[in-house]
Amino acid sequence: MGMLSVQGITKRFGGLTAVDAVSFEVHEGTIHAIIGPNGAGKSTAFNLLTGFEKPDAGTVSFEGATITGMRPHRIVRLGLVRTFQNTVLFDDMTVLENVLVGMHVRTRAGFIGSALALPRVRTEERLAAEEAHRLLRLVDLGEVADARAGDLPHGRRRLLEIARALGSRPRLMLLDEPAAGLNNAETAQLAETLRRVRDSGVTIVVVEHDMGLVMDVSDEIVVLNEGRKIAEGPPLLIQKDPAVIEAYLGEEAVDA
Amino acid sequence: MAAVPATRTLRWALAAIAGGLVLAAPFVVTDKYLLRILTFVGINLIMVAGLSLLFGYAGQISLGHAAFYGLGAYTSGFLAKLGVAWPLALVAGVAAAALGGLLLALPSLRLKGHYLAMATLGFGEIMLFFFTETEVITGGSNGLRGIPPAGLGPLVADTPQTKYLLVWAVACVVLLLAANVVRRRPGRALRAIHGSEMAAQACGIDTVRMKVQVFVISAALGGLSGVLYAHYVGFISPSTFTLHYSLVLVTMVALGGMGSLAGAVAGTVLLTMLPYADAIIPGLSRATVELLQDWESDIHGMVLILVMLFMPGGLAGWGRSFLARISVRRARSAGGDA
Repeated sequence: MGMLSVQGITKRFGGLTAVDAVSFEVHEGTIHAIIGPNGAGKSTAFNLLTGFEKPDAGTVSFEGATITGMRPHRIVRLGLVRTFQNTVLFDDMTVLENVLVGMHVRTRAGFIGSALALPRVRTEERLAAEEAHRLLRLVDLGEVADARAGDLPHGRRRLLEIARALGSRPRLMLLDEPAAGLNNAETAQLAETLRRVRDSGVTIVVVEHDMGLVMDVSDEIVVLNEGRKIAEGPPLLIQKDPAVIEAYLGEEAVDA
Repeated sequence: MAAVPATRTLRWALAAIAGGLVLAAPFVVTDKYLLRILTFVGINLIMVAGLSLLFGYAGQISLGHAAFYGLGAYTSGFLAKLGVAWPLALVAGVAAAALGGLLLALPSLRLKGHYLAMATLGFGEIMLFFFTETEVITGGSNGLRGIPPAGLGPLVADTPQTKYLLVWAVACVVLLLAANVVRRRPGRALRAIHGSEMAAQACGIDTVRMKVQVFVISAALGGLSGVLYAHYVGFISPSTFTLHYSLVLVTMVALGGMGSLAGAVAGTVLLTMLPYADAIIPGLSRATVELLQDWESDIHGMVLILVMLFMPGGLAGWGRSFLARISVRRARSAGGDA
């Protein structure tokens, strides 16, 4: 069984079945992509895996523990973290503070300890700041640590969101369309960052539209169409799969 | 980044000057009227410190904080009149407010924006009704008279100076503790919730628990502030614990600037002193002061609207852009390599 095991998850919104009995496995140490035309149910599937939506049927288990219907913050504590399609940062906080918030589950200081500035809390804050600086350097944002997050350009916002997600020291990271709105150079930098992250021991699942990026970095691909899984396999097989080609060409030509 | 230490030094200097002024005031100020106003500033600061955490940092509005002020004041006043020692009455007052906060927070903090505003407003009105109708405890609309001054054994704060010092000692401790919280992990979590609850959850923050905690803390500080008020003035009546007071508190935080404790302090000082401007500005005519007092509610309302429309960063936003300009100038004069 994989690190993440999805068994028959289903989600209905009124009459529409957004995700229909989808099952797949994600193995440790890989980059896994979920692709599919618009409205295929990719983002809903992500929300189901991370506790932001509850499935109507099916189970999700992560490292042997069932996480179906668990609240999002508990899932993060177990080591499964996500980013958002439209990059949700804490704009009024600094770049460094954003990463420190990402480290919330690994730090403990509460209201009382912080108010009294206990030595344990001071030490924790200092170590957390050092770690946050290290994570920022990992995604090449080291020199803008004190900038306001809301002032960063789009491409760097994506990288900051990844650094923030890494702050929880996740075992598995789900990225929702990390390349959306990035230019070619930024996408190349993103691919490089994803490989670096995977090599540091974090398993990755990406929902992605950018076929170039998907074919470039993925070890395994799941294809969704109209809520159902229509194909699964390594990039070379997926590119030749007739069902995949039809699903895409039926809508628009693949731009890669 | 030469700008950071410069800002920090400036902050410490300002804090030291403010602390010196606060401590010197009762020995220098001979005008009892002015000392009274300054004591009210201290009482309001305790309340606003809590509201700043709740509203300014976590972004959760409350239009019912006067109720916690009242809960603290009536509980402590009533018990002290029965002969309960002041420290115990104080603890009971704070606990009553905290409990009220918890009971309101558990169901309400699932609500957002306008709904949370309505729920807290409703709570404030219910408590006001309660303060007016439970005459056995509160004395009804006639109020609760003859509340003894704060004290512990032979130490009694019964002069204007000692009362001032007690209130400000508590206020300084509260502000110091709050300042410690906001720049550490819980403060960041509160600001994260304000920024985006969804993203805060995705960072592993238990947003519901965090919001309930900060609501209870702000209610407890409201209660503490109410306890000090009751034993300071010796007489309390429902007319103090109205929606208007709750709105003034929100205006103080908004004027100061969201997400800034220092701003909230400035907003509190300004708005508390405004109707008594003649006590600090000697030449001010009687007519002007009367105008300020008659129009007090309207001024508060206008301040709130103007801040929302034209200076969403509040006083703190101005302060920040001022500091930014200074550090840019410093960087330039240092050769522009910062």
